Amino acid sequence: MTRLRREGAVPPIAAFIVFLTAYIIINPGLLTRFQLQTAANLVVPLALVALGQLIIVLVGGIDISIGAIMGLSNVVFATAMALLPVPLAILAGIGAGLACGLLNGFLVAYGRLPAIAVTLASAFIFGSISREVMDRPGGGITTDFYLATSGELLMFLPASILWLSLAAVGLWLLLHRTAFGRHIYGVGSNAESVRAAGINARATTLGAFMLSSILVSFGAIMLAGSTLTGDPRSGDPYLLTSIAVVALAGASFSGGRGSIIGTILAACTLGLVGSLLFFAGVNSYWQYVIAALIVISVVGIPVIVRQVAAAGRRA
Amino acid sequence: MQLETEAGAVEAAPALPDDSLVVRRLFKHYGAVHAVDDVSLECLPGEVLALVGENGAGKSTVAKILAGALRPTSGTIELSGAVVDSSSVHESRRAGIACAFQELALVPDWTVAENLSLPDGRALRPFSHRVAIATTRATLEEFELDHIDPSVPVATLSLADRQMVEIVRAIAVRPRILILDEASSALGPPGVEWLFRRIHELTALGASVIYVSHRLREIARIADRGTVLRDGKVVGQFTRDNWTDNELVSLMAGREASRHFPKRPALAHTSLPPALAVTNLVADGLSGVTLSIARGEILGIGGLQGHGQAELLRALYGAVPASSDSWSMGGAAIKRLNPVRAVRLGAGYVPEDRKREGLALQMGVGENLLAPWLRPVGLGGTPLLRQERTWIQSVFDALSVRTRGALENAGALSGGNQQKLVFGRWIGRDRKLVLLHDPTRGIDVRAKQELYSAITMLSELGVGVLWFSTEVEELVHLCHRVVVLYRGAVAEELSGKKLTADAIVGAAVGVKGKQ
Amino acid sequence: MTAAIEKETRTGNITLAALRRVPRSVWPMLAFVVLFLVGGLLRPNLVSVDSLVGTATFAMILAIASFGQTVVVIQAGIDLSVPNTIAFAALSFLTWSGTIGPVLACLASILSGAVIGSINGTIVAKLGLTPIVTTIAMNGLLFGVVLLSFKNSELTDIPEFLTAITAGKVEVFGTSIAAVLPLGLVLLLVLQLILSYTGWGRSLFVVGSASETARLAGLPVDRIRISAYALNGALVAFAGVVIVGFYGQAFATMGAPYLLGSVAAVVVGGSTIFGGRGSVVGTLGGALVLGQVATLVNIANLGSNIQQLFYGVIVLLVVALYSRRTRE
Repeated sequence: MTRLRREGAVPPIAAFIVFLTAYIIINPGLLTRFQLQTAANLVVPLALVALGQLIIVLVGGIDISIGAIMGLSNVVFATAMALLPVPLAILAGIGAGLACGLLNGFLVAYGRLPAIAVTLASAFIFGSISREVMDRPGGGITTDFYLATSGELLMFLPASILWLSLAAVGLWLLLHRTAFGRHIYGVGSNAESVRAAGINARATTLGAFMLSSILVSFGAIMLAGSTLTGDPRSGDPYLLTSIAVVALAGASFSGGRGSIIGTILAACTLGLVGSLLFFAGVNSYWQYVIAALIVISVVGIPVIVRQVAAAGRRA
Repeated sequence: MQLETEAGAVEAAPALPDDSLVVRRLFKHYGAVHAVDDVSLECLPGEVLALVGENGAGKSTVAKILAGALRPTSGTIELSGAVVDSSSVHESRRAGIACAFQELALVPDWTVAENLSLPDGRALRPFSHRVAIATTRATLEEFELDHIDPSVPVATLSLADRQMVEIVRAIAVRPRILILDEASSALGPPGVEWLFRRIHELTALGASVIYVSHRLREIARIADRGTVLRDGKVVGQFTRDNWTDNELVSLMAGREASRHFPKRPALAHTSLPPALAVTNLVADGLSGVTLSIARGEILGIGGLQGHGQAELLRALYGAVPASSDSWSMGGAAIKRLNPVRAVRLGAGYVPEDRKREGLALQMGVGENLLAPWLRPVGLGGTPLLRQERTWIQSVFDALSVRTRGALENAGALSGGNQQKLVFGRWIGRDRKLVLLHDPTRGIDVRAKQELYSAITMLSELGVGVLWFSTEVEELVHLCHRVVVLYRGAVAEELSGKKLTADAIVGAAVGVKGKQ
Repeated sequence: MTAAIEKETRTGNITLAALRRVPRSVWPMLAFVVLFLVGGLLRPNLVSVDSLVGTATFAMILAIASFGQTVVVIQAGIDLSVPNTIAFAALSFLTWSGTIGPVLACLASILSGAVIGSINGTIVAKLGLTPIVTTIAMNGLLFGVVLLSFKNSELTDIPEFLTAITAGKVEVFGTSIAAVLPLGLVLLLVLQLILSYTGWGRSLFVVGSASETARLAGLPVDRIRISAYALNGALVAFAGVVIVGFYGQAFATMGAPYLLGSVAAVVVGGSTIFGGRGSVVGTLGGALVLGQVATLVNIANLGSNIQQLFYGVIVLLVVALYSRRTRE
């Protein structure tokens, strides 16, 4: 529990509980099978992409190409589905994303270039490649695939939740039960110390970018499954939203701190603001304003509280 | 093998035991700067070899190269006759060379257990925090550190505890060569005893210790032999029984131990309100300091590092929050202060770390000088104005700053000239009070002299000076009064006949002087 | 990755040292000239004043949208709320010019841009949120505001006054160029003078390259940051008004290409993403390079995808030249 607090997970968990309560009060219909499924399909791709962004933030960087990687993976998968059996298509989609992660990671870790600039450039590059692969929405995704990824596994348990949980558990094991995962936290916390301790910081950073891109590809495939299309622009909105989710999750943008559960709950919160407003009968355009205010207040309130407390102590 | 002293005498020595560490002709160049210049040394099994020198002599660089954290420009390291692959810390640890670094190699957000268990081993192996905590607890007990909780983040430990964890991190792999780089800098006397016990344990097993330090007291107790570095070169070697403090200090400094200090100026500005008057100043690390400084008076601050001196200066400058019963600067009453107001009220500050706190290394020399004086509207404070250019030149002249012109990057200057820049900001700007944090640390002798002259000049002009120095000689010879801090409070105030080196050092370690 | 930059001063090669003395803003200009001539080799009728003016016009508009970003990047920040500040300014201008006239509406839009920027700056300076998160949140907030406040998301009634000062033709040395060019140049000149020669401008560089030094030297770092973001907001809002004037239409997502585009122009122009170095002249150079690449891609008929690809490669090259983290 102290570990959760240390990772800054308390605010997003609290915010999610408040949000979910409000949501259920306004719309008890959420607890129906159909709405659960719709909500899950909306939130799961965002959660996966945000987890990908979290990994990069953990090593002290930021990935501006995350939307482009998602789009590329999405269209490669959708195209491959029309030509190859499903497992191979999935591999193709993840492979495309992994290639992007490799390029980013290599340039950042071994080329010693700043992550924000590298991913800015690669956003252009990956985006152009995805539009070459597919210049308008399409692809060969089948309804079977839709059911497998975005349908219902059991009553009241959407399939997408299962996939997200598998990814989350796997990621948690990797981050907290292997040395590599601890190395990721270490590099973000203090890269100098990690190096002086004899750990290969560069390999860790490269590994982080690869891990991140796998998660993003997974999210892209889930999105393709739930929308039944591949779309080169599908990843664009996820760039800014993934960063907002990671911020809401309480991660530190200088690296070394951030939790998986916080990210997932933050994704649920931000992902569902729109539908909450819809059911509340409020103009859904307010969702943008409310999402922004949520992020700023959740991140800002602890700071203000700390400043007031410090001033009070001194008075 | 040959042993050389600075005089060049050469003696043939007996052949070294097989398990020795042999360093041959180590060089480390940073462009034109030779941080390490042809250093060779040997370390015999079971001995403690001291590596001695002032700040900037190259000791830490040598330590980092031996530990594999830095790649040398050229030179070889051999252990037991085999060349050591010192391309990485990992390789060096595998070869049996471990180092406790001066800038602690601990990851702040990791727990003690993670810091001690993660470094050695493959990345993709499973890691159980619970197991690591148990193992670490056993390790800590073995090394008499049971008071440290292995499950807390390292960032929450005290500085002394952190340093001990760093040392354990190096010892725990049972190295054949242990390098301790200023390992006692944060340890109090009991910590130093603890460290010596660990060293004895190691040497009893035949391992060797390279003890990098400038603390002669400790070296006298623990070292078997020593090598003296100055400006990156080996300038002398000594063995346990054949050296004196004075010889060592002059070897380290490269000159006579006694320096030429300018005359202390007479106090002549007593009619003006005091430069500083504060009672019961309280801040983080300060437990109630009362002092006053007259205009033109040089008040020295003494004491061991870490006893509140840095906090005192920062609080007086407004860089950290502080409270007091009463506080005035140059006659103006102060309730709360920040650096912007402090400068406006007539204060100046030379911070501890000239590279990270004092200068903008990428910017020009002139712009660095003008930094506090940039006016929000208009051209004020920019080199465009002739009066500013004239002022810059006057500062260069007053401090004999050696530079290729006002446009040269501050980062390209030598340490001494950089320090002069940080100091020079406050010259000729009508300051009432200037706060100095060890301004002469780590700079060459000539620059020190020039700074001494500048400080006395400020005093003559009526500027009150608060000078924290780690060199007792400076306090004794140049200050009108000295206040010694101990544990965040004033331990003693010394002036006149009572102002001696012994009195300062005594008060610094908590010994009460004669009334 | 915490980026600590202390440039190693390498002595040695004299030519290298001399090259280092050349101001960074020269290089993108040079690159632009080279690319322009390359275009001429591919298609000789491209080396014409008309073509030059066409590219320069496109570049100037991008540059105007990137001047604010330059200011913010110099003091080690970034502004990702550019797209919707542009949209907000453009749409608010169109909405208000119906009631208070175009000139006052323009001023009001610019002022609201300054307010937006001040809010960004206050959150960054006082709350300590990173610029990335702050401006992303602001971008989202503005998007909602735009969608909520401006009922007709596609207002098309552009006041003549605005069209005249942006798209209207001006005769210069016998050629007719769009008015936005001299307008942008004047703005460029004023901004560069501020950055290079005023106390406030220089303090931006100190804050950007060594903020702790700036604080301990008695500079009001918070105030400087907030004013930098405020200026940025005003400039971006101005860009929004110019864009709607030149292109003749405004819609909620009109600012999207300027998110990455403004950062790219700033980076290609030689500013360091970590702060402490940069110039608006360089940013114009960066915009010119990007614009010429677009023109070349156009005539070679390679399609806009390839243009994006080239943009990415160019940014990478420039970053590799200027922004490598030192030996670790």
